[in-house]
Amino acid sequence: VVARDEMSTVDLAVELCGIPLRTPLMPASGTLSKEALGEVEGVYGAMLPKTTTPVARTGNPPPRVAETPAGMVNSIGLQNPGVEQFLRSLDSFDLGIPIFVSVAGDTTVEFASLCERLSGDDRISAVELNLSCPNVECGGLAFCAGPSSVEEVVAICRDAVGAKPILAKLTNEGVVENARAAEAAGADGLTVMNTIPALTIDAKARKVLVRGGLSGPAIKPVALRAVYDVSGVVNVPVVGSGGVASGTDVAEFMLAGATAVQVGTTSFVRDPQEILDEFTFYLEQNGLRAAELTGTLRGPVPTVTNGLDRNSLRPKRR
Amino acid sequence: VKFYRVKVEERTQLGSYILLHYRWDGTPIQPGQFAMVRAAGYPATLDPFLARPFSFYDYDGEVASLLFEVRGRGTALLDLTPTMEVTVPLGKGFGIEPGLGRAALLGGGIGVAPLKILGRRLDALGVPHDVFLGFADAGSSVVAREFPDAEVATMDGSVGSHGTVLDAAGSLEGYGAIYSCGPNPMLAAVKLAAAENTFCQLSVEERMGCGNGSCNWCVVPVRGGNYVRSCIEGPVFDAEVLAW
Repeated sequence: VVARDEMSTVDLAVELCGIPLRTPLMPASGTLSKEALGEVEGVYGAMLPKTTTPVARTGNPPPRVAETPAGMVNSIGLQNPGVEQFLRSLDSFDLGIPIFVSVAGDTTVEFASLCERLSGDDRISAVELNLSCPNVECGGLAFCAGPSSVEEVVAICRDAVGAKPILAKLTNEGVVENARAAEAAGADGLTVMNTIPALTIDAKARKVLVRGGLSGPAIKPVALRAVYDVSGVVNVPVVGSGGVASGTDVAEFMLAGATAVQVGTTSFVRDPQEILDEFTFYLEQNGLRAAELTGTLRGPVPTVTNGLDRNSLRPKRR
Repeated sequence: VKFYRVKVEERTQLGSYILLHYRWDGTPIQPGQFAMVRAAGYPATLDPFLARPFSFYDYDGEVASLLFEVRGRGTALLDLTPTMEVTVPLGKGFGIEPGLGRAALLGGGIGVAPLKILGRRLDALGVPHDVFLGFADAGSSVVAREFPDAEVATMDGSVGSHGTVLDAAGSLEGYGAIYSCGPNPMLAAVKLAAAENTFCQLSVEERMGCGNGSCNWCVVPVRGGNYVRSCIEGPVFDAEVLAW
């Protein structure tokens, strides 16, 4: 354990979509309650409250979560008070850091109306489009599952949100194609990835326990590959998300190409400050600033992932 | 969520239940509050991944104790561990109203846990109270010896009266306050048995992932058609608020 004052010389600041962040960490949407804000003061570079929708959702009936080795499967169903109530209580999320707002709708029009509603609110620095919540069946499962719908939603949101940057949060399946589509449609950044569709069964009761999304350290290698593959083919910044549980994990995601990293499920079982302390220690040990870590893997890059040869990719601007 | 490492000072086997004691000099513990608890492992164990919520069994200002039953891997490890990791006391405990006359305390199974610390508080406040405990069988009823004046019932009739905790209690009429903890069907039955307008507080036993309101696992249905988190809005609720 390194004392806080010994680490004060390490530069943790990064810039994401033109927004300066004091650390590269932020909460993954839906994993940090208002009541827990006091516990994370000083840890995060941006605030990201639970996804908001046009009208209130009561969420799914229990059971909503099942524990799994190194993670959990959840099916909360985007329980939230709706955008108007959300905006009325937004000040309580003000920790003096940029606020990113995660939105989800059942239709393209709903996404657009949310973006329009947020566009004029100066408290909000950026909007994350939750294009990949596995627990809400909207307009059929195909919605936002493929590049054409991703492109459509991102394009309409890009217009509706005005000057604010938008991040498209993508699921693992088809992530490279969807990332390209989102970038082409004007996304300023990409959050990679969301939970992975999963199922738990109670064998004794012979019943499905929870059908939802898997999160936690169990999914980290999947998320790392998604971040690595996506950051190789897009020019917009990538926010890594999926199973981050330690400072080393943060470093791994940034090495894989992420500009910032989200901490989600692990914040239920660890103090996120410990994760930041470990990451700070990593930077100190390696004589690095956080901002210069992104995409700095050494050595030859394994070729051909998803049919893409990373060594032939155009140089990226960040 | 921040965890604090504590040493298990004493372990007591009470039939099929286990009582663990640890020193606690942090935020004082209120009856009905809980902690997220796990066997120590660095930095967090991966299987089980989540900590477990336990209502405090007792707290004398220095030593806190937790009552639990081994049901799976998490509790099995807790049973064996010399060190565990605990959060600060969480949630809303019992809203104690001392001026309401005699109180009835009803506990079912492992749900008897918070009645010990609640009884201690009621004693301190001079509130007369009766304790009624229901268990499945003789093995789980051993903890009743820690409640010397309690009326006990078992579902198999092996100890005390035959039936549920409500069979042990008989009528709840005449009590000014009712406090209860146990499985949801039992709490619903207590709510039903309580005379209308009686001060009645129920502590729910929901699974929890985080304990600080973030994961939205531990929700219970409330009047008006919404779900609320039992870790923040509970685990103790006014009976009339719950939609069952």
